[in-house]
Amino acid sequence: MRLLSLLAICLLITSCTKPEPIHNTQSYVFGTLVEITIYGEPEEEAQELAGEIIRDFQALHNRLHAWRASEIKSLNNAFKRGSLPATIQPDIAAIISDATTLSIQSKDAFNPAIGNLINYWGFQNDEFKPIKIDDNKIKKLVANNPHMVDIVVKDGKASSQNPHVQLDLGGYAKGYALDNALQTLRKHGVRNALINIGGNIIALGKHGDKPWRVGIQHPRKPSAIATLDLDSGWAVGTSGDYQRYFMLKGKRYCHIIDPATGYPATGIQAVTVLIPPQTNAGTLSDVTSKPIFIANPNQRAKVAQEMGVENFLVIESDDKISISADMAKRIKWTDDATAKYVTQIQP
Amino acid sequence: MKNRTIVIHATPEDHQIAKLTALAIGLHMIEAIIPSPLPGVKPGIANIVTLYVLYQYGFKTAAWVSLLRVFASSLLLGQFLSPTFMLSISGALLSLSVLFIAKHLPSQYFSVISLSIIAAFAHIAGQLIVVRFWLIPHTGILYLIPIFCLAALIFGLINGLITAKLFSQK
Amino acid sequence: MLRKFSLNLKKSFFNQHPKLLLGDWLIILFSTLSVILMFQQFWVTTPASQFKIRQGNEIVGIFDLNQSRELRIKGALGESHISIQNGRVRFKQSPCSNQYCVHQGWLTRAGQVAICLPNQISLQLMGAKNAYDSLNY
Repeated sequence: MRLLSLLAICLLITSCTKPEPIHNTQSYVFGTLVEITIYGEPEEEAQELAGEIIRDFQALHNRLHAWRASEIKSLNNAFKRGSLPATIQPDIAAIISDATTLSIQSKDAFNPAIGNLINYWGFQNDEFKPIKIDDNKIKKLVANNPHMVDIVVKDGKASSQNPHVQLDLGGYAKGYALDNALQTLRKHGVRNALINIGGNIIALGKHGDKPWRVGIQHPRKPSAIATLDLDSGWAVGTSGDYQRYFMLKGKRYCHIIDPATGYPATGIQAVTVLIPPQTNAGTLSDVTSKPIFIANPNQRAKVAQEMGVENFLVIESDDKISISADMAKRIKWTDDATAKYVTQIQP
Repeated sequence: MKNRTIVIHATPEDHQIAKLTALAIGLHMIEAIIPSPLPGVKPGIANIVTLYVLYQYGFKTAAWVSLLRVFASSLLLGQFLSPTFMLSISGALLSLSVLFIAKHLPSQYFSVISLSIIAAFAHIAGQLIVVRFWLIPHTGILYLIPIFCLAALIFGLINGLITAKLFSQK
Repeated sequence: MLRKFSLNLKKSFFNQHPKLLLGDWLIILFSTLSVILMFQQFWVTTPASQFKIRQGNEIVGIFDLNQSRELRIKGALGESHISIQNGRVRFKQSPCSNQYCVHQGWLTRAGQVAICLPNQISLQLMGAKNAYDSLNY
């Protein structure tokens, strides 16, 4: 009898595990999938807050849109006309100034001023179709030499010394939005959340008693190549050739264009960066992977260092994987066989 | 042509083994008729005989009884070398190996009840190994492992209690 | 011998309890705990048995994976054809021009996701416990 009651109690304990206090909202903003996961808050509040963040994202996206009517689009038009300095909002001024700093730091490998090039390659579109590649046209677009430093911001007004400067914040806005969302969450006293904007992820707190765990997409398979635990405040971002690209004559043209050549970066499948907690961790997770992606294979570690990135993972087009020693400790390969393609980069 | 007679000298031990095996086969057959809610979840009452023999006659005899029972029953049921047989034999083998070790547990603390539970777990483990790597090479069966183990715990305990009772009669 | 055995068996049910020793109790306790742990382990990490379809911000529905069925879901551009086939699911046809979703192929494991951004339809395989909380891509 004692035994039976013991068994009964044990069964009761197992069957009474409560559902997790977790809320998940998904939406399409920034032309991609946005996912907000909030842990440990009452469902109603979490839902309301997630809705508010999504609306903020939508508003930001509408303001920063590079090819539809937006504040950035009007600014670009003003640059093109070479007209008098145009009035801009303080936060846009701050974005421009921050993007300029990062652009300089990356020696122009991150260059949001090349909107014309991106447009030429057809990536300023909701869908990407193969284009007719005109080498002379590309040469001309590169020779126009648009740079962030051409933009002059003064007294709430902006102008460009180069009419070919066309802002495209596609490689900045998602990360910037992550930082904003994290602030909003903190302001509302949320302690645990995970925000994913088109693959760029920032973590706050934990998932219950465990850290948030993110999967890193395999560049060529519909599954994760590895998982990574994100501690509070950490952000992760990937530049890959598999999300936005088109195929032409069996060749892959991805959306990450090397501003120096005017052509999409080749020879690489993905760069993932892991950014420690700081006020602009989200932004850095979005921005810093691009210069590494564009760099020559033997320059990647050096470029990462210049961008202040300590933790990164590179998947070259021959499937070879290199990973910084710090990140190797945090990552878990989904398939044990992956490990044989991996080399560690020593700091 | 001379008639040649082959005489097999059966020791008394052989007779014992035969009788006990017959009993085990009987129990095995009864169990085979009882419908089970989930294939593989069975009381395993034939194991009572194995445990009984283990204590009364030692490990070697127990191994004989157990394996003979598996072979003979599968032949009788027409399941020889079928998946059912493979499940039985793998379960029996692993359970015997574990009993071989568990027999050395100090008997002032561990009675036949402990051994029965341990053997039941080993039995189900042996079966699951065959299922996972041969019959259903799919992670889907992971889902069933807790049910099998719960069954092993309950039936192992009951069989152990029955065997203990058998001894307490003496 | 046999008779004695069956006699014992019969009698034994009506007599006093057999004595459980300390080790027996420990074994029972230990195995009960292991069974509980196993229930918690395996019954929360299951392979995907269901998947969720979302269109825009709406959940279209949660579907069982263990069936063979074709679904047509209306999205922002038109109808996406989704094919379910005994434990796996994929985009079979899509009105989008890049067809990334179709190229994703079959999804089988909990947590896997296929997204058709142009048509704003996503498939997400669900297990009670996913291998990760969100996907970086």
